[in-house]
Amino acid sequence: MTRRPDLTADVSEILLSEAQIQAKVIELGRRISDDFAGRELTLVSVLKGSLPFMADLMRSITIPVQIDLMEVSSYGGTATESSGLVRILKDLSSSIDGRHVLIVEDIIDTGLTLNYLVRYLRGKNPASLQICTLLDKPARRIVEIAIDYRGFEIPDQFVVGYGLDYGEAYRNLRFVGVLRPEVYLDPD
Amino acid sequence: MDLDADIDIRPAPAFSHASEAELARILDFYTVGWEYEPHTFPILFDRSGAVLESFSPDFYLPELDLYLELTTLKQRLVRKKNRKLRRLRELYPGVQIKLLYSRDFRALLMKYGKLSLASALTGADGQTTPPRVRTGRSVTETTRAGARRSRAEARARAVARLASASLIDAEVTA
Repeated sequence: MTRRPDLTADVSEILLSEAQIQAKVIELGRRISDDFAGRELTLVSVLKGSLPFMADLMRSITIPVQIDLMEVSSYGGTATESSGLVRILKDLSSSIDGRHVLIVEDIIDTGLTLNYLVRYLRGKNPASLQICTLLDKPARRIVEIAIDYRGFEIPDQFVVGYGLDYGEAYRNLRFVGVLRPEVYLDPD
Repeated sequence: MDLDADIDIRPAPAFSHASEAELARILDFYTVGWEYEPHTFPILFDRSGAVLESFSPDFYLPELDLYLELTTLKQRLVRKKNRKLRRLRELYPGVQIKLLYSRDFRALLMKYGKLSLASALTGADGQTTPPRVRTGRSVTETTRAGARRSRAEARARAVARLASASLIDAEVTA
């Protein structure tokens, strides 16, 4: 992307307002607090997109939790990546052996990344492994994933904001908005 | 857990379209095992039971027991493909299959920052595929056997349904 992003003009509509997001995060935090009461819970955030959601969600949870961060490379189609050598860019800092783990995602669309992560984390012997996502875009699903905590099901539109990016921009928007097609169809 | 432990290197199948090769690379990247056109499903029969038309989905993902069919034709040209898919679902209700349309494939490329490749990988421009060596997860004998078994079961169900004669017709292939 060579053009300079315009955080206001590049968004055609606000899909989820800041107030809607915050209300949902509080609701999810309450459910998670109830469901995991008395258990050792680790929240695993998948960088970079889930960072704002993780920050808000963990503060909405009223039971003790540990947090950890992971970063997984996205497919880029280069020869190196296709060989399967570059994938976990940042691994867990602490063991999750015997702990209840909740993966915190910003959005689930194809399910390919999460399918990989779930298989990877299961190999680390957690007591349980569940999934929480703020956004679910089922129209794009290739691999079916059981989602335990879902914020919003969204239509098949390219969305940015609240952690979600296009070309690393727009993550700092406080809402989730629809990116104008001309931004990605004619980026120059 | 080392998800790459059973990676093998095999000659790439002869993909009929560049988009299929790209999808295979994406599946490889996420260590999702796949087979290229491993199964052919008869979907149209004449009154004697002879197969008039078959459908071979592009990919089978053994660990997910899922077929993927990728079409990069323009939306108005996918009617025949949709009809085949409908037929397959009628005859083989236990078979899970997803059809990825051109718009889905473009969205996938966009997600990975490769939208500029879309025109080269879709439609007539994507008909030729450069040779490559496939790097992917091997499909174990267990999953192969499972795939064979599920196909046999699906076929048996289809035959049973056909025996009811309600589905035996001589539909003309479009």
